[in-house]
Amino acid sequence: MEILFRMTQAMSVFVVVAYICCKSPLLRSLTADAVRARDRVYLYLVFSALSILGTYLGVPVHDAIANTRAIGPVLAGIIGGPLIGTAVGFTGGLHRYFLGGFTAFSCGLSTTVEGAIGGMVHLYLYRRNRSERIFAPEVAFITAFCAEIVQMGIILLVSRPFANAVTLVEVIALPMILSNAAGAALFMSIIRDQKNTVDRIGAVSSAKAFKIAERTLNILVRGITAESAVALAKIIHTETGVGSVAITDKEKILAFLGQGADHHIPGNPIASSFTKEAIAENKVIFAADGKERYVCPLAADCPMTSVLVVPLHIDNDVIGTIQLFEPRNKRFLNMNKTLGEGIARLLSNQLLLARYEMQKNLLVQSELKLLQAQVNPHFLFNSLNTIIAILRIDAARCKDLLIHLSNFFRKNLKRAGDLSTLAEELDQVNSYLQIEKARFDDRLAIDVDIDPSLLKVILPTFTLQPLVENAFKHGISQTMGQAVARIKAFRADGWAFVEIEDNAGIFHEKETDDGHGIKIVDRRLKGLFGSDSGISIACVPHELTRVTVKIPLEAQAA
Amino acid sequence: MMRALIVDDEVYARQEMETMLAETGEFIVAGKCANALEAMQAIRKERPDVLFLDVQMPVINGFELLGMIDTEAMPQVVFVTAYDEYALKAFEENALDYLLKPVEKGRLAKTVEKLKRRFAEGKRPVFAGPAIQKIPCLQSGKIKLISPAEVEYVRSSETGVHVVCPAGEFFTELTLQILETRTGLLRCHKQYLINIDLVDEIILRENMLADIKTKSGHLVPVSRRYLRVLRGRLNF
Repeated sequence: MEILFRMTQAMSVFVVVAYICCKSPLLRSLTADAVRARDRVYLYLVFSALSILGTYLGVPVHDAIANTRAIGPVLAGIIGGPLIGTAVGFTGGLHRYFLGGFTAFSCGLSTTVEGAIGGMVHLYLYRRNRSERIFAPEVAFITAFCAEIVQMGIILLVSRPFANAVTLVEVIALPMILSNAAGAALFMSIIRDQKNTVDRIGAVSSAKAFKIAERTLNILVRGITAESAVALAKIIHTETGVGSVAITDKEKILAFLGQGADHHIPGNPIASSFTKEAIAENKVIFAADGKERYVCPLAADCPMTSVLVVPLHIDNDVIGTIQLFEPRNKRFLNMNKTLGEGIARLLSNQLLLARYEMQKNLLVQSELKLLQAQVNPHFLFNSLNTIIAILRIDAARCKDLLIHLSNFFRKNLKRAGDLSTLAEELDQVNSYLQIEKARFDDRLAIDVDIDPSLLKVILPTFTLQPLVENAFKHGISQTMGQAVARIKAFRADGWAFVEIEDNAGIFHEKETDDGHGIKIVDRRLKGLFGSDSGISIACVPHELTRVTVKIPLEAQAA
Repeated sequence: MMRALIVDDEVYARQEMETMLAETGEFIVAGKCANALEAMQAIRKERPDVLFLDVQMPVINGFELLGMIDTEAMPQVVFVTAYDEYALKAFEENALDYLLKPVEKGRLAKTVEKLKRRFAEGKRPVFAGPAIQKIPCLQSGKIKLISPAEVEYVRSSETGVHVVCPAGEFFTELTLQILETRTGLLRCHKQYLINIDLVDEIILRENMLADIKTKSGHLVPVSRRYLRVLRGRLNF
């Protein structure tokens, strides 16, 4: 009983040591999931030391030592695998061997075996895909419990004289089995708690980072401006809780929020040498209490004494900085430092994305201009030819057609980025239709049916014309018999629909120039009204092709 | 006076051309056609000396039309088009001239001179023409386009040329001679063409005659003269 009591005492010292070990950076690797080569060496050294310590904290009994030596090898095995377990066990065992006594060899051997047992448990859990159980205290308890029973067996088998071994085991078996198992379990629970704490902190800061990412995403679409900088600073300030936040471009402060806002005024040029250095050398600068502390160059009574300056860049060009400040009486948290750097990286990526989006839009615009500039020469010359022919028979109609032709071309020259009303779009389409009607006078019927309440609906300029032209190019002009072109505008379920239909029923699946034109129109509609709007195409071969434009009505209220 | 046929899918373009041709005093306008099918009929009926032909037309364009006209009926060809992207091709196709719409009076006068010189030489034009990818057929007032690969056989009778495919039998304006030269169909009889890819069996009869059974079970006669050719082609 006394042995059990004294061993519990020893084990307690041992657990305190374990606690200290866990808090030190030496054992931080234990808490990480992936064990790297360098961590294996740490693991070996620390647990070997623990094993030896266990021997020294032991209680001498009958020329032997009742001890907690096994905890080191068993845990090393469970955490690091059979190799490390055996190595630790061997080291602890070797040490015990040289201390002498009639159990010197059996104890040395059994410690090595115990390390290997821990390793087997590791392998078992790993192969069963239950590696999360590695850090369970129960597992450590059972493993150490069994390992100690094995040790007792080895002592009985190997130690001579046998009678002495029996006496020894009778005395030490119970206390050693219990104290080692309990020690291993306690130790493991300390490691697990430490690990959970790290995980929790990680989770909190990733949650913060995600929240910031989510909230900033929309702000940065238009790049960094004075307005977006203020919005951004506000988000970072509330999410991190630092003293103050500043955002600068390369020359001046764009936004400053928090303590010291009275003298750090947006629009003023950058004064701090830290910021200048961060911009010039494109590097993160951290200045906190100590030698390199931050001294506000603007006001002597500025409370800020520590600062983190992170450059923002697009590709490799620095375009500004984000700065986090803390006042004299508040420590600059390591977490906020990492978070600050992460935010800057995230924002840089978002800015790159914003620039990419902008260039993509420019590309669409220029493609559209190109499309518009390509006036179909067949249309132009055939129209003129028709008008000349009509001049011989009907001068008044000829005049009307020329006015339609000039209206059509005038509308074509309108800038592509603009918006139009449906009425304006239909005006151009009407001019076009009047001319086509004249060209195919004998075999074309046109049917236009527009809900007049939709005439004020706004849509991108040059939406309908390419679609109508397409219907003529691939539909009407490809039919030998009577051709029909229908244009219909109506409302349904909160949407405005414009249908353009021909009775040819020729649908080109492959990518033609015109398919590209429809795609551009579709992209512009979706860009303006969201992805539910846009263009859909239906085709019944030899009967009809119908192109439908879908525009939300609620977006029209504004 | 030259007999002219105007082919254009636009009504006023045809009228304008007719007026201008009349103004030269050199032409009698034998007809005006709105598409290639009408043109084929008119060419056979009217035997014009010259074709004023638009390139861009529905279903069968001007170039394709030339590939469907029998060589002995082939008139001189003047392309009339709105845009000059086809000029080079037109001359490669042996066109006599190439006019741009709207047509200028002075330019048309030059065409007249060219035509007169050509007729003085007395040569008929020859157009290489593309292989026929689709055979235009009439089916109750509608135009059906049949790919030569679908055709089982073609027969000619007093009522005209008929294309037979699994979907049925269709009348076409094309002649056997054109179909034989511009599609892969083989002559097996004076009045029949056969698609060799859709032959099921060849039944030999007495007197060097034979019948061909097509994949859908039609029987097509093979005459003595063409059996020899067919044997050479199929190695039997």
